[in-house]
Amino acid sequence: MLDDHAITRRWPMALRAVASIAIVVYLAAVVVPPLAGPPPASRLANLVLQPLRPLVGAVYLGHGYRFFAPNPGPGHSIRWVATLPDGTTRSGAIPDAAADWPRLLYHRRFMVAEKIDALVPPADAPAEVRQRAKAAWLPLVKGVAGNVLRHTGATTVRLERVEHYLPDPEEVTAGTPGADAITPLGSYAWAEGGPR
Amino acid sequence: MTASGRDRLGNAAAIGDARPQGWLAAWDAFWFTPADPLPLAAIRIATGLILAWSSLVWLCDADAFFGPRGWLPAEQVWRMNDQPWQWSWYFAAISPNTIRALAGVTLAAALMLAAGLATPLAAVVSLAGLVSAANRAPLNTFGLDDTLGLLLVGLSVGPAGACWSLDRLLAGQGRGATPSVRANVALRIIQVHLCVVYLFSGCGKLLGESWWEGTALWGAVANAQYRTLDLTGLAPHPLLVNALTLTTLWWEIGYAALIWPRLTRRAFLAVAVAVHLGIGLAMGMMEFGLAMLTANLAFVPADTMRRLFRPLMSSPPPPGLP
Repeated sequence: MLDDHAITRRWPMALRAVASIAIVVYLAAVVVPPLAGPPPASRLANLVLQPLRPLVGAVYLGHGYRFFAPNPGPGHSIRWVATLPDGTTRSGAIPDAAADWPRLLYHRRFMVAEKIDALVPPADAPAEVRQRAKAAWLPLVKGVAGNVLRHTGATTVRLERVEHYLPDPEEVTAGTPGADAITPLGSYAWAEGGPR
Repeated sequence: MTASGRDRLGNAAAIGDARPQGWLAAWDAFWFTPADPLPLAAIRIATGLILAWSSLVWLCDADAFFGPRGWLPAEQVWRMNDQPWQWSWYFAAISPNTIRALAGVTLAAALMLAAGLATPLAAVVSLAGLVSAANRAPLNTFGLDDTLGLLLVGLSVGPAGACWSLDRLLAGQGRGATPSVRANVALRIIQVHLCVVYLFSGCGKLLGESWWEGTALWGAVANAQYRTLDLTGLAPHPLLVNALTLTTLWWEIGYAALIWPRLTRRAFLAVAVAVHLGIGLAMGMMEFGLAMLTANLAFVPADTMRRLFRPLMSSPPPPGLP
């Protein structure tokens, strides 16, 4: 047990009441965002989230904490082929395990490919679905294109999403992995200050 | 029994009392009992070092992460994060030099935090730097940033420089520190937030059939983009993969309840070490693993830390603790 010396350092009732309110509000801002998203999520959680959004945004609490959920899936990268002003081409990938060092830098670039992948439907998805999704991913892919153009000094760059085949144990044992899935993300060139 | 050594659920009599007064007393004991600040100091040092490293890595390509022509132009950030008050000091930075200077401010604050120099200011600036980076570059963030955020909120609230700090040395106060309510509130915030992280991480996994089938771990092992240690040798051992997957799943789901009783706490902390070091070594996310282990330090009693670090410490337990 604490001795009297420690107990006298307890906070007065009024301070504890104010602190309790602050703690409850903070814990609500911690608990409600993962209840409200990513899907599936309830309307109730999203309603409760609304008044908390300023705090969630200000202190960076808007997380779902769904690490490797619902299933660990295949990894993704963005492959690029850039055409330089002299007509030669350079190619690369984001992320690039050989060039992106230290590993944390690789991981930060890996997140670009993973987060854009979440917005891009498969190449064989219905045309309407692909068209609707393009409005969401195109501005982000333009940012990637601009970054590659800036780094390489190229005039144009062609991008494609690569979904790396995830082999099952039998395929690894037999040494017969499947093929990666490629989805074109378009070609881009500088125009009026940004990639088009 | 010491404040740090006894079960930190607090007043057992209050917890057994189902009346409203009993609930209030339990709340009061849980949040407002003075606690030894030593675990907070250990968390401060580790968090400061991890944030300093993360800041250095941001600086490796600061223009691409935070610049107007980087991965994600500022006007597109809302597409990844549309919370109001989603602020960042990088939104005001246009020139590459300003961007690097601001990233340098976070680096300096993180190093000061680790050293315990001007600790309250260093903690707040570190938090501001972390939030600024994460809110400006949401395309590049992952669990490491979430975890550093929860740690830095706790460090900003509590007396993180009360021991093992330059502040304390410069004040001529030696290495001991008095228990305080602020230290307890800070540790509780980290503890509860960590439980929320594990609970939702575990519940999210329950939506996936591979976690129920016990094959999810294979999905991580066989993913060449994550892999830094080739564990595909597990292919002929499906039952081992099942056991590792199910252990991870049920440990995450059970953590929020079973980290509190002393009977199960050590086992849950031991699995945390195995899981997070395993992810760090095999999947190349050592910084994330270390940040999660740093958060787990909030559950390590101060007297246990004192025993672990006895060779480095000569001071007795702080006054107020027998």
